[in-house]
Amino acid sequence: MAEVQLVILFTSVALVVIGLYSAIFLDNIIKKIIGISFIEEGVNLFIVAIGYKAGGIVPILMPGMDTTWFASNAAYPLPFGLVLTSIVIGASTLAVMLALVMVLYRRYGTLSTKVMLADTSKREEYNE
Amino acid sequence: MNEIIPIMVIVPLMAALLISAFSKFNKVTKIFAFVVALCLPLIPILSNYGLHYFGGYQPMLDNVTGVMYHPAITYSFTFLQQIFIAAIGLLTFLVIFIYLTKYKKVSGPYLFLLFLGTAAVTAMILTDDIFHMFVFFEILALAQVGIVAASSIDYSYEMALKYMILGSIGSPMMLLGIGFLLALTGSVNVSDIAAAVHAGLVNATSPVFLLSLALIFFGWLYASGLPPFHTIKSGIYSKAEPHGAALLQSFTVISMISIVLIMFRIYASLPIFEVLIVFFSILAMILGVSLALTQTDFRRMIGFLAVGELGFIGLGIGLGTNFSITAGLFQALNEIIITALLFIGFGAIVNATNEVDTRKLGGLLAYHPKVSIMLLIGGLAMAGVPPLSGFQSKLMLVQASLSCGYPELSILAIMVSIATFVVFVKTYYTMFLKPKPNDLDLENKEVPKAMIFAMGVLLVIVILLGVFPDVVTSGISNFVGGIL
Repeated sequence: MAEVQLVILFTSVALVVIGLYSAIFLDNIIKKIIGISFIEEGVNLFIVAIGYKAGGIVPILMPGMDTTWFASNAAYPLPFGLVLTSIVIGASTLAVMLALVMVLYRRYGTLSTKVMLADTSKREEYNE
Repeated sequence: MNEIIPIMVIVPLMAALLISAFSKFNKVTKIFAFVVALCLPLIPILSNYGLHYFGGYQPMLDNVTGVMYHPAITYSFTFLQQIFIAAIGLLTFLVIFIYLTKYKKVSGPYLFLLFLGTAAVTAMILTDDIFHMFVFFEILALAQVGIVAASSIDYSYEMALKYMILGSIGSPMMLLGIGFLLALTGSVNVSDIAAAVHAGLVNATSPVFLLSLALIFFGWLYASGLPPFHTIKSGIYSKAEPHGAALLQSFTVISMISIVLIMFRIYASLPIFEVLIVFFSILAMILGVSLALTQTDFRRMIGFLAVGELGFIGLGIGLGTNFSITAGLFQALNEIIITALLFIGFGAIVNATNEVDTRKLGGLLAYHPKVSIMLLIGGLAMAGVPPLSGFQSKLMLVQASLSCGYPELSILAIMVSIATFVVFVKTYYTMFLKPKPNDLDLENKEVPKAMIFAMGVLLVIVILLGVFPDVVTSGISNFVGGIL
């Protein structure tokens, strides 16, 4: 495994762990959502790292290139395609989550999940 | 190659986009939505079985390893896909029919979400590509959240956000698992991955392979609403419009079986895989029925019962034999139909009474006899009373547990069925048979005819599947024989 690839993998693990911590333990909904983004980006980075090839070339077959040479030197393109799709999905999810948060913020006037996502019975206690 | 197969996904997807774009033309939107919804169950019934390779890229031979591989996304259409896509198509039609007759001015975005969800689950069950499945799994989650948020029930936004936050943790975990599989095999095609595992090209006991199982399994628990996600799953059912909940539970069941069948093909060689499935299924059965017993909101009660029924599906698949998997998949089909019947039936009661608390209801049998009788039969079918469809699948599951050498599992299945019966009879008595409370106004409140029609159609299927189970089980058994 290339050194660069190892560094990327450690970074992606760090992103996922920090993201999980924020999403599970922090009370502020925006911080939770930032944590969720960290998890998604960590996973995307991991998949990009799978396709990394030390000294590899961009996987686009240009006219005149020898196909055997291209096959042995090009980076693996499948992970990049997957990550591109994953980024789009992540952005859509993020947009929907933020839209829901906007509605709930207008209703409760707070970003605390303890208040806005509490059980119905507990919510009445917080309102008091 | 069969060119018709992708049409099953394209039709609802295009309908969703067109309806969303032209929803200001109310009458045209209504007619268009009705016609497309009517086509949904017909397309799979009229299609031939086969494979579809996107872009026309057929499987190729790798000259180095001598193994066939799939360069493009592949859709596989067999009897199993046919029966489930037809079932989801029929349910979508009934739900859209109820919706169109209920409101004079229809909501384009809501219809968009219903069609989008249908397209997503159809793609999930058709695909042979694990990343493609993941993409539609995410689209499905967005559609589910939208259907819940679009309801007029209190706290639906809160429930939608909760579901979304949990999903945003569960989905990347599944993607990470897919990433590990990609790193190990260099492919996201399920057939290619399974072939690599069975050929010994991947060490099945390596930590990376086991980690991929754990991560995808976690995503599967979220998709299925099995513990620890059972509470949120029943919560979203209770916060959606009743006809929307009927469709949401069918989305859950189909995404559950789509993912578990993919996992089965890849991880079946690991003994821990089947143990995990059986463990979480038993947990779902016990927790589902126990929590249902304590509910006073009948939508929530049906939600928990639906979670318990998911446990039966998992039990059948976890036992791992041809007969047990057939029983599990037959149970999945029954659950889609029966739970939809119950959600629509109880939705009709909400429509007539504006009340969801069973303690405040009573005497409904005299006012709504058709709904009462159809709900009673639906509840009995869920509890596994003969000769209804639920009885046939549960009997098969009990036989499968016994034949696999686990009599304790068959005893548990019977006990959970009895508990389901008790829960349903208790609720039914409270709502329909006990004297009507004085403050409950039931005069001049009719149940929409579309709901009664939908319940009637589902009830006929429940009875037919109960009397002629072989029509379905023999085809499912052939499919299972192919993947084992």
